[in-house]
Amino acid sequence: MPSEDLEKIARKIIAEAKRAGATDCDVTISTRSAVETTVRMGEVEKLEGAQMRGVEFRALVGHKSASTSTSDLSASAIKQMVRDTIAMAEASEADPYSGLPEVEDLCTGYPELNLYDPSIAEIAVERKIELAMAAESAAREADSRITNSDGASFNDSSGAFIHANSRGFVGGYQGSHVSLSAGVVASKDGEMQTGGWWATSRDFKGLESPEKVGKTAAQRALRQLGARKVKSQEVPVIYDPLMAARLLSQFIGAASGAHIYRKSSFMVDKLGEMVANSIVTVIDDPLMPGRLGSKPFDSEGMKCQTRTLIKDGRLETYLLSSYAGRKLNCKPNSGSVGNLYLKPGDSTPESIIESVKNGLLLTSVSGMGFNAVTGDYSMGASGTWIENGKLAYPVSGITVAGNVLEMFGNIEAIGNDLNFRSSTVSPTIKISKMTVAGE
Amino acid sequence: MAKSNTPAKSSILDAHVMSAEAALHDRFGLTYGQLQKVIADAVKGTGGKNGFCDVFLQAGSALGVSLDQGVIKSTSASHTSGAGVRVVVGDKTGYSHTDHVTVGNLRRCAMIARAISEHAVDSGNVPLSPVSSVPHDLYAVTDSPVGIELKERIALLRKMDQLARAYDARITNVTVGLFVEDYTVIIATSRGDIMADKRPLVRLNVSCLAEEGTRRETGSSGGGGRFGFEVLSDETYWREHVQIAAKQAVDLLGATAAPAGEMDVVLGGGWPGVLIHEAVGHGLEGDFNRKGTSAFSTLMGQSVASKLVTVIDDGTIADRRGSLNIDDEGTPTGRTVLIENGRLTGYLQDKQNASLMQSKLTGNGRRQDYRYAPMPRMTNTYMAEGESSPEEIIASVKYGIYATTFGGGQVDITNGDFTFSATGAFLIEDGKITRMVKGATLIGNGPKALHNVTMVGNDVSLDKGVGTCGKDGQGVPVGVGMPTIRINNITVGGSKS
Repeated sequence: MPSEDLEKIARKIIAEAKRAGATDCDVTISTRSAVETTVRMGEVEKLEGAQMRGVEFRALVGHKSASTSTSDLSASAIKQMVRDTIAMAEASEADPYSGLPEVEDLCTGYPELNLYDPSIAEIAVERKIELAMAAESAAREADSRITNSDGASFNDSSGAFIHANSRGFVGGYQGSHVSLSAGVVASKDGEMQTGGWWATSRDFKGLESPEKVGKTAAQRALRQLGARKVKSQEVPVIYDPLMAARLLSQFIGAASGAHIYRKSSFMVDKLGEMVANSIVTVIDDPLMPGRLGSKPFDSEGMKCQTRTLIKDGRLETYLLSSYAGRKLNCKPNSGSVGNLYLKPGDSTPESIIESVKNGLLLTSVSGMGFNAVTGDYSMGASGTWIENGKLAYPVSGITVAGNVLEMFGNIEAIGNDLNFRSSTVSPTIKISKMTVAGE
Repeated sequence: MAKSNTPAKSSILDAHVMSAEAALHDRFGLTYGQLQKVIADAVKGTGGKNGFCDVFLQAGSALGVSLDQGVIKSTSASHTSGAGVRVVVGDKTGYSHTDHVTVGNLRRCAMIARAISEHAVDSGNVPLSPVSSVPHDLYAVTDSPVGIELKERIALLRKMDQLARAYDARITNVTVGLFVEDYTVIIATSRGDIMADKRPLVRLNVSCLAEEGTRRETGSSGGGGRFGFEVLSDETYWREHVQIAAKQAVDLLGATAAPAGEMDVVLGGGWPGVLIHEAVGHGLEGDFNRKGTSAFSTLMGQSVASKLVTVIDDGTIADRRGSLNIDDEGTPTGRTVLIENGRLTGYLQDKQNASLMQSKLTGNGRRQDYRYAPMPRMTNTYMAEGESSPEEIIASVKYGIYATTFGGGQVDITNGDFTFSATGAFLIEDGKITRMVKGATLIGNGPKALHNVTMVGNDVSLDKGVGTCGKDGQGVPVGVGMPTIRINNITVGGSKS
């Protein structure tokens, strides 16, 4: 469905809601078509294709609110949805802080961010299969110890969405994603290790080559062969860029306004305080053209801007939705991030590894051992042990633990290897001391 | 269409066919004849390669309401109506879904799904025999939970909020959420079956924040299942969850860092069964074993645990969150013994993998919703009880931890390493519980760790009904369970080395 049609429906919903007694309302309508192409062991395994659509509508009656989602866009269903939602709001209870953003915080006019590649919709299925096959064979042919495969996929999706509210905001755009992934199994003497890799992009041209995706997957499986446990000890831990990004996301998630006004975060009362070593700067930039997390306005229609969240170790701002802003009596600045990254340093990843006499290069974590209230962190871990500045042998079956505030305070080196392969990214980081539990 | 492959139907099945046809008409305005035509065309389109086709239709609603900081924070409804068409030829699958069910859209989906047959060879026609051809009747519901008035649901949240705040002055915030849903699913296949199931599900969650000085801790609890709202609104039911959450938050204020290293661990009954789910459950799902990517792939019939260990997946337990009358392929759910006295005895199967492995159907073909193709998934997975009393198990440990509350877990299917994260635990010293310690992640290896189970309690219980299992991006409600057990030499990921 073209964006103009979505906008028409959105405007209709808002007019209908006002007629039916809503004092304020907002609506998001999206449509998307997606294709997933999966191959395994050199054959096509699965083809999936679908067109999706959905509406999310929120009505306010005074300070009472309710929301409904549905995929039925027929005129009668929309009318019913609006009435039912208003009735539900009326039957609910008032929250004095509920409401839409103030008009001055809404986005008016935005730059073109190049989030849509029309050529994605034109890629023939045969070409998608070829690319997935190429990624899988690159992985399987990388080494004779690659003996099995979880398969490789080429997935793409293109869509459009519109957000509108009763305070005059209407905005929407088209977006696309394309991704290529592969997963293989390396084995030796009865031991099996899996390794996977993926690439994702807004545009087809920007996608990493199938050879690179496949080879990286193979290398990640191979490097874990022969993994063993180590003794429990306190050592420096190097987080590779993927693990560092995951840690960054957990750390910054705790600065979300919803956590702060509920006091359920270790970031409470930390505004303007040092929360990390002074070499750490964290930036959220939703306005970078063509990036995976880019967006001109947020889910409430508020304008997005580049924010420095942590500057030289000091927490500069919380992430404030309009609701959190009202609760905390602060100006809102959007409750979600766009492209979140830790600013790269000067060190090469190799030199960071060389700086460790005895420690861990962390390449994978598992489990749910992160507590955003206390900052306590305990995760299953695997990676490569470092001895005298050199990668020595693979390790698994161990855990790494600490408190994230202390961990960020102990970041003593930051790599120069930042790559915007996801919406949250980080270069390699070195944490001077963590508890590793093993034998 | 030809019904030659259909197993002989009992009268109960015929009754289900009638109700399925009625549901198809009520919820989607379609006739069985129209659906059969879509399916027949899809199979014909596979060019004589013995393709199988099924259509999964789903309609219903989910309602949520939550209370936070003493006010009703969100009130929501979500309405679902859609269908997915699948074509299977051997180990190849084509799938497409629509959010708008019409004959035209179903036909379009069937065309996309059957394109897979161009990449497939004749799969032969492997017959599938269900473990039981009679669907169950497991949900005790008189009134649909989505029919309960909002005011009544809010009143329950208010009572819970008040009780939690009254528990201790250090409780400074309470969050309560109530989620109810009711979906009708209809499954029609090219073997001539049509089945329907109406699936209620309710869930209650409470989380408390306790503060003392600058220290903050949370505790949480929750419960639910495939039953009506009246079970949740019963005072003994919600009171228990409020008390567990409030007590845990307050107790954790005094907890010290958990120890780090290999030690003996006692796990309490119920939710700690997440160990079983991660350590063995996922590794026994048919798809990974057919492909040879599971750490258990070559171990069928072999010893994978101590003799004290018997593990069962049972989708037929009345009212349970993980239970289903039929799975999402229309197969009645079953009870599958996965490990018997330490020996590996069974896999969990969906139609495609059972057929390819020539193994029996177990009723474990599940999907998150109509947007996804089914795959082998767990239902309620638990360890059967043993003979020791929980007290003697704790008393047997010289130095270790006793963990009863867990967040969740994760497993690497291929190398078997699993983790599960305790949200709080107790230190055991010389057979006695001495003090509370903070949460920590525990790590072990599936085919190895259960050999170290040295005592199994006589107190088996299932969790309270809040688990959701994720696989390939699809979440499904599951149950886990376990008696109190002792497991030696597990690595505990505390921060105190």
